Amino acid sequence: MPDPRMLLQDKPESRVLLLGNEAIARGVLEAGIGVVTTYPGTPASEIGDSISAIAAEAGLYMEYSTNEIVAVEVAAGTANSGVRTLTAMKHVGLNVAADAVMTLAYIGVKGGYVIVTADDPECYSSQNEQDTRFYTLLSNLPCLEPSNPQEAKDMTISAIEISERLELPVLLRPTTRVSHTRGPVTYGKLTKPNLKGKFIKDVRRMVMVPANARPMHIKLLEKLRSAKEISETSSYNKVVREGNSELGIISSSSAYNYAVEAAELLGLDASILKLGMTHPLPEKMIKRFLGNHEKIVIVEELEPYLEMQVKVIAKDHALNVKIFGKMNELYFPRKGELSTRTVTKGLAEITGKESPINFKKIDDEYADITKDLPSRPPILCAGCPHRASFYVIKKTTGEKAICTTDIGCYALGIAPPLKVGDILICMGASIGTAQGISKVTGKNTVAIIGDSTFFHAAIPGLVNAVYNNHKVTLAVLDNLTTAMTGSQPHPGTGVTGMGNPSAKILIEKVAEGCGVKYVEVVDPFNIKEATMILEKALHHPGPSVVVFRAPCALMEARQKRRTGIKIVPCKVTDKCTNCMVCIKLLGCPALIVKDEEVTITETLCTGCGLCVSVCPYKAIECKRNG
Amino acid sequence: MKEFNIVLAGVGGQGILLAAEILGTAALKEGLNVRVSEIHGMAQRGGSVTSNIRMGERVLAPTILEGTADILLGFEPIETLRNLRFASEKTVVLMNNEPAPPLGLITKMISYPSSGEITKKIRFFTKNIVVMEAAELAKEAGSILTRNVVLIGGLAATEKAPVKIESLKDAIRELVPEKYLAVNMKAFELGYESVQRKTKLWSS
Repeated sequence: MPDPRMLLQDKPESRVLLLGNEAIARGVLEAGIGVVTTYPGTPASEIGDSISAIAAEAGLYMEYSTNEIVAVEVAAGTANSGVRTLTAMKHVGLNVAADAVMTLAYIGVKGGYVIVTADDPECYSSQNEQDTRFYTLLSNLPCLEPSNPQEAKDMTISAIEISERLELPVLLRPTTRVSHTRGPVTYGKLTKPNLKGKFIKDVRRMVMVPANARPMHIKLLEKLRSAKEISETSSYNKVVREGNSELGIISSSSAYNYAVEAAELLGLDASILKLGMTHPLPEKMIKRFLGNHEKIVIVEELEPYLEMQVKVIAKDHALNVKIFGKMNELYFPRKGELSTRTVTKGLAEITGKESPINFKKIDDEYADITKDLPSRPPILCAGCPHRASFYVIKKTTGEKAICTTDIGCYALGIAPPLKVGDILICMGASIGTAQGISKVTGKNTVAIIGDSTFFHAAIPGLVNAVYNNHKVTLAVLDNLTTAMTGSQPHPGTGVTGMGNPSAKILIEKVAEGCGVKYVEVVDPFNIKEATMILEKALHHPGPSVVVFRAPCALMEARQKRRTGIKIVPCKVTDKCTNCMVCIKLLGCPALIVKDEEVTITETLCTGCGLCVSVCPYKAIECKRNG
Repeated sequence: MKEFNIVLAGVGGQGILLAAEILGTAALKEGLNVRVSEIHGMAQRGGSVTSNIRMGERVLAPTILEGTADILLGFEPIETLRNLRFASEKTVVLMNNEPAPPLGLITKMISYPSSGEITKKIRFFTKNIVVMEAAELAKEAGSILTRNVVLIGGLAATEKAPVKIESLKDAIRELVPEKYLAVNMKAFELGYESVQRKTKLWSS
């Protein structure tokens, strides 16, 4: 969708092709949500981004919060002042926000509040594939799971309604294949957002000291019982197909789509119970469904969340039914995303039917054809300043230093030929992990982190380094944007999610303020100077910070295109001996070998000049480097 | 139409997401149900990128089952091969002949497979292959960045095209910013004509 203003059209009943995340943004407008807070993260980013583009025009407030827990805390304030609010994040963001979410569940909300947390089965763009649905059992919050963009929109509105009815936050859990699938969405009516709130003081409800938390926990359990009644009658929980056999299928989310198509492919005359509200589960409805069938197959992605609870229901009601799922890991995988194929395979094994498609034949032929096909993992873009930073880090520290890395484009530094990055856990972990490694190994330790990630989660770690005097170097790869998730602004960019100017918070000033004694800012493309400064930082007796600052190549190219500035690519001259040093050191996608000669792909080269710096024969020319 | 499946395969940065959106929008204009699956984020950075477009009354799943693609639109030869498991003898493979050598090949100094080798491999799955010079045509249209629309034009000229030319053009008008519209329409025409010429040669 080139123009997010399409989301603002007040044309009920019109059918528009929307990404799941855009559909959630439309849901925000139809539900009259007044405040949206978010921290970008794939596969959730386009929810906040769509809203950011239209917030001012739509008359609502949105912000890119510093991190997910701040996003939830801001929302706790607005929703408890009676304003409808939504927070969007990726699955691992909920780990960051969990402390606030767990206790906000006790306090509850006054205005409807939806927490969207998008799971990423198959780890397309994530460090793990945790199943967020277990947070519903931990927090007791209700949960809706859409299976397509239309439901993503409708459920956003329903989540607000349920939230207001129960005075409880509601989780909305899309997955990558819902968030990043386009499908037709029928618009409903727009509702004017209300941004004006009123905070009514109520210490016993709002202040969670032990004496108040105990009764509020009881209250939460009462709300959970009411939520169960809602779940029993929810239109999102229903038998969508009545079959004439002993077989019943229970499914939710995108897995439901695969289950229906797989059952059709196998010609199974099964009943299908589709669950859209998956916490709390509709126990009576499930009990009836179990009672009407002899065999039940549960099709769900990632963990056996439904299966465990359905088995409990079967046991509690002493039902004589055989339940097949993934707990025994025989029929469906407990990792990765599902597909029509994996579900077909599982259903075929359970029912003894044969798949009409001979997958084995396809696999064998495919394996034969593609056995020598080179892989193409994601890599740093041509002109990416991180490549220069990594080159400097590697050149200065050699292979001996330990480099802890972090969440962002720079995680791609592990790819050959750069190969920088020895451990990666989660947002902000680089700086903490570095301190532990440095403490017990005594080795040079460099923590690598990006600018947005620095603000998100590195500051407490940096304070720890100063406080406990850990000898580590923090290399902040500052490309002036949140690049990996689509170039969102952050506290260092001087722009807000509303598009308003704001104070630029400088990373070097933050570091100085935290008490770091050695803080320098360098241009990573100035290899000589950057190397010298990093060298000094490594010799500094306490913690040190070097900010490698240069704009993201994609962002710069976009700006140049917009302003009509011509990008002048570098050129290989006849001084080139084809020694391959540039290719072997940098791994830039613009440098290729064509007819056994090093060539620069003009359409990819941004003219950054990094290859000029490493060429031993001065055989590459670049305008930037004169 | 019960079900029509298109696989787009290429490399991050080639405009696959826009191409997928154009196809999906065109299908919606014709009243079809649609699912377009995309990959965003880390996977996009110069890596293999695919998108699946499914249209038809009852499509639910966002991804395509192996062996059921009606069209495989390859933006890059190696990536076309990588997605052959979705093809069958009924599939039309429409492929851009512009190689983007993976880094692994370059650093190991292995040469890119020849066009003959590539078509031989595709032929193992299907005989319906159209090779397009999308990069040259895009440059002729005015910008290399329109190679995606050149390929859409090519798709429109095949017998298997699931939607009308006008629907595709309308979708392009809707989705491409005004500033770049003329170049993209030209790219569409060039792609269309080129495939029309090729398939005429075939049948004659």
